[in-house]
Order: sequence, then C-alpha cells, then structure tokens
Amino acid sequence: MSVRNSSARKAGARNNPTNSRSSRRRTFFTVVVLFAVIGVFLVRLVDIQVVQADSLTADSVGNRSVGQVVYGSRGEIVDANGVVLAGTVMRYNITMSPVNATPFKRTVDGKKVEVSVADAAAEIGAVTGQTGDAILLTISTALEANAEANFAYIAQKVDVGVLRAVQELHIPWTYSENSPSRVYPNGAVAGNMLGYLSGDGVPQAGLESGQDACLASTNGSETYEKGADGVRIPGSSVTSTAAVDGGDVVTTIDSDLNWFVQQTLAARAQETGAAWATAVVQDAKTGKLLAVADYPSVDPNNVGGTENPEDRGSRAFTQSFEPGSTFKALTAASVLDAGVATLDTGVVSPYRYLPSNGANINDSHSHPDQNMTMTGVLIDSSNTGMSKFGEMLTDQQRYDYMKAFGVGTATETGFPREDGGILHPVDEWDNQTSYATMFGQGLTTTALQVSSIYQTIANDGVRMPVQLVEGCRQADGTMTNVPDATGTRVLSESAANDTSNVLEMVYQKSWVSSKWNIPGYRVAAKTGTAQMPDGKGGYSNGYLVSVSGFAPADDPQYVVSVSIADPVKLNTSAAPAPVFQEIMSQVLKKYRAVPSGATAPDLPSTW
Amino acid sequence: MSDNLARVSIGIDREAFDTPARERRGFRLVAPAPSRRARPRIFYALTAVAGVAAIIVAQLLLSVGISQGAYEISSLQSSQSELGRTAASVSEDLVRVSSPQSLAANAEGLGMVSNSNPVYLRLSDGAVLGAPASASGSQAGAASLVPNALLTGSTLLAQLPEDVASTKGAVTITSAPVVPAGLAAPTTR
Repeated sequence: MSVRNSSARKAGARNNPTNSRSSRRRTFFTVVVLFAVIGVFLVRLVDIQVVQADSLTADSVGNRSVGQVVYGSRGEIVDANGVVLAGTVMRYNITMSPVNATPFKRTVDGKKVEVSVADAAAEIGAVTGQTGDAILLTISTALEANAEANFAYIAQKVDVGVLRAVQELHIPWTYSENSPSRVYPNGAVAGNMLGYLSGDGVPQAGLESGQDACLASTNGSETYEKGADGVRIPGSSVTSTAAVDGGDVVTTIDSDLNWFVQQTLAARAQETGAAWATAVVQDAKTGKLLAVADYPSVDPNNVGGTENPEDRGSRAFTQSFEPGSTFKALTAASVLDAGVATLDTGVVSPYRYLPSNGANINDSHSHPDQNMTMTGVLIDSSNTGMSKFGEMLTDQQRYDYMKAFGVGTATETGFPREDGGILHPVDEWDNQTSYATMFGQGLTTTALQVSSIYQTIANDGVRMPVQLVEGCRQADGTMTNVPDATGTRVLSESAANDTSNVLEMVYQKSWVSSKWNIPGYRVAAKTGTAQMPDGKGGYSNGYLVSVSGFAPADDPQYVVSVSIADPVKLNTSAAPAPVFQEIMSQVLKKYRAVPSGATAPDLPSTW
Repeated sequence: MSDNLARVSIGIDREAFDTPARERRGFRLVAPAPSRRARPRIFYALTAVAGVAAIIVAQLLLSVGISQGAYEISSLQSSQSELGRTAASVSEDLVRVSSPQSLAANAEGLGMVSNSNPVYLRLSDGAVLGAPASASGSQAGAASLVPNALLTGSTLLAQLPEDVASTKGAVTITSAPVVPAGLAAPTTR
C-alpha cells in the first residue's frame, strides 16, 4: 500500500502517468536484461577462470610453447687409467612426415627447380646408405597404415655427418630428433665384461647392468614459448627440470693389458680349436683385477656379430667348472697350514690307491709306487699322492679351508649373475667326493675363484676381496660405493711361503716347464687338466686345461690364471702354458717388475 | 551532568556545520580562474602526452632491441650446438683411433713388431737375463682377434698416400722402414 501511495504521489507530481509507467517498465526491462547479460558473463567468467582454468591454461601454453627433453648423459665406464671403455654419444634419427611427402621447389643457382618425391628419396638414400626405393616403400607403407601418417623413421642412430648431409638437402618433410647412444671406443676390449644396452637404452648384461645404479642418468625437460619463426619469445616463462648425468664407473682393468691378453688368448684358443677360454690377471697384493679376457670376445658395438648368446657374457665370472689339478695347491696349503705335514714329509704314491672308505683313486698315467714329498706330488700332479696328504685332514677341516679360500661363494666383484661354483656341505660328500675334492673334482670354481686361491698363497696367506670396480665417480669427483678392501688371513705366512716354494719347484720341474719359462724371474705355477661335464650328469671327452700361477715368486705381485675349454687339437696343459708365459711376460714388462735376484730354493721331491 | 554536556555539544555542532556551508556557497560564486592559469595546463598536458609518447617509443625500442637480442641468442645457440656436435664427433674419432686395435694395426703397418721375449740387463753384475733374440712378431702380428666395429672402414696411416699423411701432419713416415704388405705370419707358441 505504501509503495502504491508513494508512486501515485510521484506520478501525480510529474503529471504524466502513462509516460511514467512505460518508463518504469523500460527501466525494469533494461535492468533485467542487464542483469541477465551480466549473469551470462559471470557464469562464463567463472567457467573460464575457475572451472576450466587449468585445461585452458594448458591449451594456451601448448599452442605457443615448445617442450623439449634435455638428455642426461649416462655415465662412462673407464679403466684404471681413465681410458673410456663405454661412453655416451649423441646420435640422430632422421624422420619424415609421409603425408607431407610431396614434390617441392628448391633454388639451385638462383633458379627454382621442382624436386620429385622419388628424387628426394634417392638423395636421402645416397646419404643414409639406403636405396631410394626403400624410402619410397617406407612412405607408402606408412600411408597405407594411416592415410594421415605424419611420422616415420628414415634412418635411426646416424652420426652427425649423415645428419648434416640430410639437412643440406633442405627437404621440407624431413626432420631429425636426438637419440643418445652408447659407444665402446675400444671395441671388444673387455667387451664381455662391459655388457651392452638394448636399442632403447636398457642395460642388458655385464657392468652396464650391474652398475646401472651408478651409471643411470635422469632426463630433464625444458619448456619455453616460441614465435611463428621458431625463435624464443623474449621474456617468456621457461620451466626447466635439470637433467642429472650418471656417475662414472671406474674399473680396476687396464685396457691395454686387457687387449693384449685377449689377443694372446684368442690366438691360442683358435690354434688349439678351443670351445671357449678365459684368462685373469690379478694384482696379488690388492686383489684388483687388471685384466679379464674371454674368448670368444664380444664387441659391444656389434653384439649381433656374436651369434651364440652364451658368448656375449663373461665366462670368467659366470662359468664354473671342475678346476682339476690347479686345486691341489689349495689342498697342499691347507695341509701345511694345519701343521699335519711339512715339506719333508714323505708318502708313497701308487698308480691306484684304494682308501679304506671305498673310494678308488688313480693317476693319469701308469707308474710304479713312488716315494714322494709334497713337492714331488705336485710336480707329477699325482692324485694318489695328493690323496695321501689330503686324508691327513678331516673332510670338515678341508671344507673350512676351501670356504676360507672363497670356494663355493661368488667373489666380491658384484658382477651380475656371477657364479659361486658348487661346493656341497661335508655331510653330502660321498666316499669318492671326499677324495676327489682334494684334487679339484666334485666341486666347481670359476676362473676368478682359482685366481683368488693363488692370490691368497701369493699374498703371504691373506686373501684380498676380488675387486673389479674402484667405485662410482660422481660429477663432483667424489667416489662412492667403494668396495671393502679388507683382507682375511687364510694361511699362516710360513704355510703360504712353503706352498709358494713348492709351486716354484713345479714351475721349474713340470713337464711343461720349457713352455712357460720366463727368464730372469722366479715364477710359481701349477697346471690343471679336468674332464668337462657333458651336461647330462656325466663327463664328456673334452678337457678343461688350465695354468695358474704368480710372479715374481720372491715378492709375488701378479697372478695369472688361464683356462682353455675343450681344445680339440691339444687337450693338455701344453695348450694354456704358452699363453701363461706370454701374458706373465707382458705383465712383468708392462709394470716394470724387478727381475728376481736370488735363485729359487731347491726342495727335495723324493725321499 | 552528562545531560548538560550533551546538549551543549549539539549546539556547538550545529553552529560549526552551518558556518562552513555558508562559506562554501560563497566560494562557488567566485569568478573562474584567470586565463594565465590556462597556459600551464596545456603545458602540463603536453608534457604528460610527450612523456607517455616517449615511454611508448622507448618501450618499443627496448622490445625491438630485446627481440633482436633473442634472434642473436637463437642464432648463437644454434651455432654453439653445431660446434658442440663437431667437437663431440671429432673427439669421438680421436678416442676411436686411440683404441689398442687401431694403434696395433697402425704400428704394424709402419713395420713395427711386438716383442714378447723381454730380456733384462741386471746392472748390479751385468748379467743378461733371458735369451736375447730378434723379435719375431708375437700374436700381435696376427690379424686382430679383438674386433672393433667402430674401426670398420678406417684407413691405416701407412696406406695413406705419403703427401696426404705429411700434409695432415700426422706422422712423418719417410724415415720409417718400408715393409712389404703382409708381414711373415708369426709363429705363436
């Protein structure tokens, strides 16, 4: 009522009731429309600013900005002297847009020349080493699969020379992209140990796989805004995540020595028709591996070139075998260390020995009973003589010594899929195994473990952890993951020296002594010939022949262990002996070992 | 008491309120500002407009400068990345030819022979340790048994024409002994 009264009063005052009413209606209508329009804008505003804000922002940035991957560089694997064994390089993929593959115009000598697709394909092919038809086929295949296909590879992982040559062609529908790759500048040198990466950069084997935690890098990204001409808009926001490079793995390997050892080993293995072979060079005082060679060698740059997948790994780490007579050094050292026999103790070694427990031991060749000392037993490599010494210890005692020498446990290298060998617990030994383990049968070791046994004897009875990696070198130069290098005493110093003296006598008096003679140095060494398993629980006709030893014997510094599997043309230790000689000569020469002064002690071999 | 004070204050307020109102009315009647004040106003306006114009021009020039800088940065960055690629590719070549396989093959190509028979002269008594013999070319004389796919297609130094080798400044091979292609096959024992 009051409203009406007041409006009536106002209308009366203006004296024009009709105009006033329509004016009010107009005002009301305007206000309503205004509010409706504002409401629409408000709703739209809230929708854009709040509801769809994130997706719209993303879209707008996506239209202007370019994101690109900043590649982190996978760490290098270097040898002890810093020589790069595995490194990362940038390679390039040449790509194209099949849907846009049409003739284009090119300015040649100021004249515009039309270039057909076939001509362009032929030009690209001449650079990338393909035929033009192959590239045309790629285009047609891509278009068949998808008529709008905008991406196809022309060539992958080409080097910068090819990339530049393709860019020189100025073909508008070709592009390039970065593709970080791995190279191994020294080829097959230590290739079996290094391992390799798959095509998309996943580590497949060896150190690449075992040390991936150190080597792996993290890619970063960088996003910035660019104008139509591709130049970055000044002041546009840049969001970047820094790439993190991987650390470098520093190995204990000497690449030059490793090459020599591989070359020497391969030559002999081919000459003797061997199935495979390994050679290990170890520093006697530190346990560091200076060279590990495998035959056949794999070139990680060309893994496909090695047909047998088993040849692509390192058998020195992953293949255990019955070591045979090289293992007698361990039994002799155990007996001497326990004090149950001395170098003067004599035994009678028959051709065939039938111990009371029912085992049946015989020597490799027929001979009458011989009165032998430990020296004589090892020179002749007599199984029966060794059994007479070995049985002076209980099985458990010998088992404990073997464990202390590292038999039955993978070494400390941390190599992926390293074999620990087989050493059954004592209560699983049968009568024959009880004796067979004295001369390296009934158990298996890797070449590395055999080397470690000789390292222990050479290093006055202290076994050092077998070391392949010095550590992971971070970008700031600090070394992380440095392996423990604390030695453990396995033998007394006198027992180790006595064993060393016996092995020196073996070096001088063995039937292969003329084949491994290194003038000027005192050397301790022992041969081994062991039957190889046929894979069906029995023995094959093949032999694994080996030589292990160290020099200079008066101050042992280097251990060399050579194993050759199934050399069909020469299945005795005469096969590895010259390899041992060449490798040890090279090691002594390379590291400038001082020639021995005093002569070797002369020990009696008979009594 | 408080009643009294309130009334008094209201009275004062009214007076205070009315007086300025009357005075304001008086000011409104004053004649417009004298014409001499117009000139400074134009001057100020011009100054302001000129200032704005100057700022706009300066900003334009600055952004042109920055854009120019962006193009320069862009071209420098691309030439830096090109040079980086060249450096990487050259050092890759260097590492590759420094590999033992390449060195051994080149040394042999130049007629060098590896000696696997070291002989030592002991200074204390002049004793000769080992049996001196001419180097026969050990296993290293054989074809490389340690492959390196990266060396495929690379040329040995000795196979380069002499003028190429010397212009490249690699090695002066004029004084090197001329060795017929293919050393006598070494006898590996």
